[in-house]
Amino acid sequence: MILVYLLTLPFIASLLAPFLNPKKATHLLSLSFLIPFVGALASLAMLSTQEINLVSFSPPVGDFYILIDPISNAFGLTVCIVSAMVAYYSLPYMQHRFEEMGLGSDEYRKYIIIFGFYAASMLWLVYSGNLVLLYIFLEISLITSFLLIYLYGYGNRRWVGILYFIWTNVAGVLMLIGFIVVALDNSSLAIRDISAISMVAWLLIFVGMVIKLPGLGPHIWLPWAHAEAPTPVSALLSPLTVGLAGYILLRAYLIDPSFIIAYRNPILVYAIISSIYAGFAVFRQTDYKRLLAYSTVSQMGYILIGLCLGTFGLIGVVIQYMSHAFGKSILFMTAGGLIASYHGLRDIRKMGGLHEYVPSLSNAALLGFMNLGGILAIGMFGEFFILRGVVDVFSLANVGLILAIVFIFILSGWYSFYTLKKIFYGTPKAMERPKISRYLDVPLYLIGILSIIFIFPPLITMLLNGLKAVIGGGV
Amino acid sequence: MNWSMNEILQLSLMFLVPVISSLPIAIAWIYRPGEEWARKLPYLSVFGLFISLLISLNILFNVEDGFYSYPWIPSLNINFVFVVDYLSRYMGVLTALIAFLIGVYGLEYMKDDYRLGWYWFFFNTFTASMLLVVYSDNLLTLLIGWEGLGLASWGLIGHWFRDDDEITFVGEKGRKVGPLELSWSPSFGGWRAISTIRFGDMPMFFAIATIFALVGTLDIHSIPWHELFERIGFFGSVFLLFLFLMGPFTKSAQLPFSEWLMTAMTGPTTVSALLHSATMVAAGTYLFMRLSWYIQPWNAETPALAVVYSVVLFLGLISAFYGAIVALGLRERKVLLAASTMSSLGLMFASSAASFWIGQIAIIVAFWYLMVHAFAKASLFLVAGHLIHATHDRFCSGDRVFSRKMKAAFAVTIVATLFLSGIPPFTAYWVKSAMDGVMEHLAEEGVILPFYLLVLVSVIYSAFLAKFLSLNFMRGEKPKHEHVENANLMKLAYSIMVSMLFILLYAVSHEHHFVEEGHLVTSFAVGVLVTVSYLIALYKPSVKAFSRVGVFLTDRMYLPFLNDFIIPKIGWFIAAVVDYANRGIDYFFHQAIPSFFDWISRLIRAVQKGYLPSYLRIVAAWIMIFIVAIAIAGWYGWP
Repeated sequence: MILVYLLTLPFIASLLAPFLNPKKATHLLSLSFLIPFVGALASLAMLSTQEINLVSFSPPVGDFYILIDPISNAFGLTVCIVSAMVAYYSLPYMQHRFEEMGLGSDEYRKYIIIFGFYAASMLWLVYSGNLVLLYIFLEISLITSFLLIYLYGYGNRRWVGILYFIWTNVAGVLMLIGFIVVALDNSSLAIRDISAISMVAWLLIFVGMVIKLPGLGPHIWLPWAHAEAPTPVSALLSPLTVGLAGYILLRAYLIDPSFIIAYRNPILVYAIISSIYAGFAVFRQTDYKRLLAYSTVSQMGYILIGLCLGTFGLIGVVIQYMSHAFGKSILFMTAGGLIASYHGLRDIRKMGGLHEYVPSLSNAALLGFMNLGGILAIGMFGEFFILRGVVDVFSLANVGLILAIVFIFILSGWYSFYTLKKIFYGTPKAMERPKISRYLDVPLYLIGILSIIFIFPPLITMLLNGLKAVIGGGV
Repeated sequence: MNWSMNEILQLSLMFLVPVISSLPIAIAWIYRPGEEWARKLPYLSVFGLFISLLISLNILFNVEDGFYSYPWIPSLNINFVFVVDYLSRYMGVLTALIAFLIGVYGLEYMKDDYRLGWYWFFFNTFTASMLLVVYSDNLLTLLIGWEGLGLASWGLIGHWFRDDDEITFVGEKGRKVGPLELSWSPSFGGWRAISTIRFGDMPMFFAIATIFALVGTLDIHSIPWHELFERIGFFGSVFLLFLFLMGPFTKSAQLPFSEWLMTAMTGPTTVSALLHSATMVAAGTYLFMRLSWYIQPWNAETPALAVVYSVVLFLGLISAFYGAIVALGLRERKVLLAASTMSSLGLMFASSAASFWIGQIAIIVAFWYLMVHAFAKASLFLVAGHLIHATHDRFCSGDRVFSRKMKAAFAVTIVATLFLSGIPPFTAYWVKSAMDGVMEHLAEEGVILPFYLLVLVSVIYSAFLAKFLSLNFMRGEKPKHEHVENANLMKLAYSIMVSMLFILLYAVSHEHHFVEEGHLVTSFAVGVLVTVSYLIALYKPSVKAFSRVGVFLTDRMYLPFLNDFIIPKIGWFIAAVVDYANRGIDYFFHQAIPSFFDWISRLIRAVQKGYLPSYLRIVAAWIMIFIVAIAIAGWYGWP
C-alpha cells in the first residue's frame, strides 16, 4: 500500500525540480526514484500481490488500479534504479550538452521535468492494472522521449526524433486497437477482468510490440534513435523503454497465452533469426552508440525467445529485462562518458587503448558487457532459465533449435569482448587523460555492483521465489 | 546433506577473503595509480591468499568427507552445495598453495608494473573462482566459479593491454605466413581466450540447464545419472555429454581449441604458471574427473557412455601427441611450456576416460598426474619468468656461463624436468607407470592404440623437457642481454614449489598401486626409453637438419589459421551480408516509403494548380473517358 504513495514521488519531484538549482534538482529526482526502489525491493521480498483501486469507469474501460506483484516489482525496481542513476549522470552530461548547443544552464529546468516525467511514466506503466492506463503511460513516455531527442539530440536530431515518434506511435496505435478489441470482447480493460484475448487482438498487440521491441525488420528505427538521442535518454530508451514491450507481451501472455502457443514455432524462429542477425550486425558498427543499439536488438530477441518457452522462459524474460537494463544502461553511460570527455567521440575507429586514459569507464564497460554476456551477473540466470525453457518445451529432440539458441549466447559474449578490445585495449592513441566527473562513473558502478550481488542470496532468492509464485504453474 | 554452519563459514571465507583482500589495491589503483603506498598493498592480497591456504589445509586435515550446503534458491532446489572428498581435499590445497606461492613470486615479479590493481584483483578473483570450482558439488555454483575462471583468465592474459612491449608478444613479430602474421599481442590473446572459452561454456551451460530440467537437481552426487541416460536414450545422452564436455574441452585446450592457450602466454608469467598450467586449464580435466567419479561409468554398460568415453580417450591422446610434438619444435620458452601443458592435459583426459573400462583407479591415476604436473610445470613457468627477466628474451637462450649465474633456476629446472618426464625413480615415473598400466589394461580389452600413443607421448615429452633445460642453461646461445638480479622472493617461491615434488614422491611411495606398477617390467622399459630420450635431447637439443620440420611445428601445424582466418572470414562474411541487408531495410523504410508518399503527394498537388484551363482540360478528359467507356460498353451489349 505504501508503495503506491512512493510511486507518486517521481512525478512530484519532477514538478518541483525546475524550481531548484540543477544540482539539488538532480538529487531530488534521483532520491525520488531511489525511495520507490527500496519500496519495490521490500515488496518483492514480502512476495506481496496487491491490487489497489484508483477509479472505476463504466465498461468497456473498467477499473483503474495499481497492480503490485513480483513481476511488476521486478520491472519496477529496475526502472527505479536505472532512472535514479541516469538522473545523477545527466547532471554533468546535460550541462556539457547545453554548452555544446549554446544553450544556457536554465535549459536544465526544462530538461529535468521532461526527463522526470519520462522515467516516472515508465515506472507507472509497469504498475498499471488497466490496459488503458498502461497505454496512457506508454504514450507519455513516448512523447517525453520524443521531445528529449528532438530538443537535445545529436546529428539530424529533428529527423530522427520524428522517425522515432512515427515508428513507436505506429506500434502504440496497433497495440491500442488490439486493446480496444479486447475491451469489446471482455467489456473491461482491467487486467484482472480480462479472460481472453482474441487472435485478432493478440496479433495487433504482438505486431505493435514487435515494432517497439524491436524484432528484425522494424529494428531499423532503433539504431537511429539510440545513436542520436542525448546519452542519458539513450540510457533509458534502450535499457528500459523498448524492453517494456516485452513486459506488455508478458502480461498479455499471462492473461491468455493462446496466440503464442499457437504460433510458437514461427515466432521462435523469427526471434532467433532476429537475435543472430543483430548480433552479427554489431561487429560492423563503427559508431559506439549504434553498436550498442544493435546489441539491444539482439538482446530483445532473447525476450521474444523466452516468451515462447513456457514457465521458465517467462522467468527468463523478466530476468533478461533486468540484466539487459543494468548492462545496457552502464554501457550507454560509458559511451556518454567518452562523448563528454573527448568532444563527441563516438567513432570506434578513432578509439583503441582508451583504458589508458579512462580506466574507470573501461572497467565499468566490462561490468556492462558482463551483463550482456551473462558472465557472473544476473544475466547468467536469464540465460539459464531460457535454456531450461528450451528443454521443457522441445526436449532434446530439436538439435538445430538448441544449437541456434546456444549460438546466440556465444555471439553475445563474442561481440562484447570484441568491442571491449577494440575500444579500450590495444596500443593507446595519442590523447589526453580527461578529468572525469564522479557523476559520470560512480552511478555505473552502483548498477554494476547491484547486477552482481543479484546473483547471490538474498536478492536472487526472493526474486525467483516471487516470480515462481506468479508465473509458476505448468508449461 | 550436512547443514553444518562451521564448514560453510570456512568455505565461504576461503572464497571471499582473497577477493576482499584485493579490493583495496583495485580501488587504490583507480584513483591513485602507481603511488608508493599503493605498491605496498599487494602484500595484503597475498595475505588473503595465505588465509585461503590455511583454510584449505584445515579442510584437508580436519573436515570430514561429505556435502555441505547453504540455501540459495531453495524454491527451485538450487543450493550452494560443497563437497569434501578425495578429489577436492587435495585439489583445494594444491590450488591454494600454488596460488599463494605464485602470489609471493608475483610480489617481486610484478613490483614495477603499471597496472597492479587490475592484476591483483583478477589474480585473487581467479584463486577464489578456482577454489569454488574445486569444492562445488552443485553445478550452478560450480558455474559461477567456472565463469570467474574465464573472466579472470581474460583479464590476466590481456593484462599488458598496451601491446607496446615486444617481450609480451607470442610469435615472431612481422613473420607472415600467407595472409596471417603469426604474432599475437596481449589484448588479442585475451580476446582469443575468452572467445574460445565462451564457445565451450555456453553448450555446457545448456547441458546444465537440461540436467536441471530433466532431473530437478544440480548436485553432481545426487543426480541419478544412469536413469537420466536411460531416459533420454542413446542419442540424447551422447548429445548432452558432448555439450557438457565442450566446457572442459575448451578450458583444457584440447584439439581443436588449443590455440588460445598458446597465445595466453602473452600474459605475465605468474599468470601462465597459475592459470595456464597448474589450475585453470586443469579445471577442465578436474571437472571431467569429478563427473566420472559420480557417474561411475565402469558400473554401467551404457552404449552412450562407451562412445563418449572412447572419444574423450582418443581426443585426449591425440591432443597430448599434438602438444608434445609441437613443443618439440617450439623455441619460445613459455609457449613451449604451454604446448607441453596441453599435452599433459590430454593425458589426464585420456587416463580418466579409461575409467570406463578400468574403474575408479584410472581417475586416481589421472588425478595424481595432475598434481605432479601442476607443481612441476608451475616451477618451470616460474623459472621461465625469471629467465625472461634476466635475459629480456622470450626465446630459449643460455649457456653454461649463464647458468652459473642462475644456480637456483638451473637446479629447479633439473629437478622439475627429471621429476615430470617419468624417469625412474622420480615422482612422475610411478604415476606414469600406473598410467601405462591403465593403458595396458585397455589393450587387454582390445583397445591397443592408446598404450603405444602414451609411450610415444612420454618419450617426446621427456625430450622437449630436456631440450628446455639444455637450451636455457647448457647448450643454448649466449643470451643477448643479461640482467641477473637478486630475485630472492622469486627464487624462494619456485624452490618451495619444486620441493613439493619431493613430498609428492614421498606420498606416491606410500600408495601401493603406484609402487606395484612401477616395479613392472613394462613400466621400467618405458622408463628407460624416456630416460634415453631425455639424455639424447639434453646432449643435442636442436638438430639443424630438421629445421624445416621445426618451422612447421613452431607454427603449430598452422592451426592458427582456424582461429584467425577461417572462422573470422566466415563471421565477417555473414556480418557483411547483414550490413547490406540493414542498408536495404533502412533505405526501404526511411527513403523509399517516405519518397513514395512524397510522390503521391506531388501527384495530388500537381492537379491543384489553380489555373482554369487545366481544370477544364481535366474535366474534358473525364468526359472523354466517360464517352469512350459508354461506347465500349455499348459495343459489347451492356446492359
